[in-house]
Amino acid sequence: METTAEIKQLIHARFGIEAATLRDAAPLAQYGLDSLSLAELVFSIEEHFGIDMPVGRDDINTIDKLALLIDELRTPA
Amino acid sequence: MPRRVAVTGLGLIGPHGGAEPGGAQAAFEALMAGQSAVTLWDHPAAAQLNAPAAVAPTPFDASHWFTRLQLAGVDRFSQFAVAAAELARADAGLAAYDAATGVYLGSGMGGAAAIEDAYASAQKSGRVSPLTVPATMPNAGAAHIAMRNGLHGPVYTYSIACASSAVAIAEAAKAIAAGELDCAIAGGSEALLLPGVIRAWQAMHTLAEPAAQAERSSRPFAVDRAGLVLGEGAAVLVLEPLEAARARGARLYAEIAGSGVSCDATHLTKPDTAGQVRALTMALARAGLAPAEVGYCNAHGTATQAGDMVEAASLAQVWGEALPQLAVSSTKSMHGHLLGAAGALEAAITVLALYNRALPPSMFCEMPDPECALALVHTPGTQAPELKAAISNSFAFGGTNVVLAFRRAE
Repeated sequence: METTAEIKQLIHARFGIEAATLRDAAPLAQYGLDSLSLAELVFSIEEHFGIDMPVGRDDINTIDKLALLIDELRTPA
Repeated sequence: MPRRVAVTGLGLIGPHGGAEPGGAQAAFEALMAGQSAVTLWDHPAAAQLNAPAAVAPTPFDASHWFTRLQLAGVDRFSQFAVAAAELARADAGLAAYDAATGVYLGSGMGGAAAIEDAYASAQKSGRVSPLTVPATMPNAGAAHIAMRNGLHGPVYTYSIACASSAVAIAEAAKAIAAGELDCAIAGGSEALLLPGVIRAWQAMHTLAEPAAQAERSSRPFAVDRAGLVLGEGAAVLVLEPLEAARARGARLYAEIAGSGVSCDATHLTKPDTAGQVRALTMALARAGLAPAEVGYCNAHGTATQAGDMVEAASLAQVWGEALPQLAVSSTKSMHGHLLGAAGALEAAITVLALYNRALPPSMFCEMPDPECALALVHTPGTQAPELKAAISNSFAFGGTNVVLAFRRAE
């Protein structure tokens, strides 16, 4: 599954937002995620992908940016 | 001149329900019928216990009150609190709480589920939810009530073990009486049906072993008492100045006539008659009530041997020859011990007893302890047409004793 689709699944499982309504490039705040629920999503992503996300990246606020970062972190150096 | 204080709304999320329209009255009627909500804990997490536990769980549908997104970082005890405050608002006939409304909430342990989840998650994956702190903090419930309703006044949380929400109600009533507030949301919330917490209580040897019929596990004031049963839930009272409430045509459930607070300062967990007598005496004095005028006592009555005997001795000392006229029941026999929410639930039941002029029974006490010589209400459905005043006792670990005195609002 593509990373963006996996993120949408996680958002759906966690917050009950229909995956089909989520657009890759839209700021997640548009769907009602605030700083706390975003932190919760990052936690779900870390658990799901087995990675550690960097802290303080407030610029990562869309699904496609999240996917890009996740794919980077999953690529063995 | 202090203002008189009325209870104008009740919101219950408890073992006997309450979320349906008219839910507080329906829960009271279930209690009047002697229905116990105590059952064997059959949650999947019960597999983590070394011995089975009897509990009084609260039926609760979080999705009725929150979207999944809103639930991020909101512990069960905060969910209960928000729902109970909403039910109380509707019951008080208010379209919305005024922004100056105060929130006075009690909780013994706050978001205990979040902290247990954090330990489990740390052991399993090494990671801990970033929302553990805001979910766990004991004032989260009050803060969520404030955010949900846009309340900008005092938003307080009292953590005084089993007296938490009784203190919250006493303090809220004082603020209304003093003219500091014109409306207060006062109550408590607790959600501790969790493997770690239950095991900690079992380790203290204070929990009742489940009875053969689990619903009979909590037997206050009985010779065959076995200890307490943990319950969960929230109860909220809306308090307003009595005259203002009457002027707006509000239903007046009862008047908060006074309160008494004391600390034993003798032992962390063992109750003490001298301390309880001070709280009882103070509550009666402040309420302007003679013992003989009080027709009902909702006892702390946890069904521990030390607790029951000391409470009975304290009531006997203060009531003296009037003791046989004081009808007593421990409704914990049916809803268990809600700890930080116990004082609020039992205050609501006491208020409903006055409003309905009916006395909920003390169940499963077929063999009363002769050392607790109280006029226990044994029979479901007992009516009390002459009832004018009633008290609710909350005696906490840590030694704090709280007695709330109520009078019919007439």
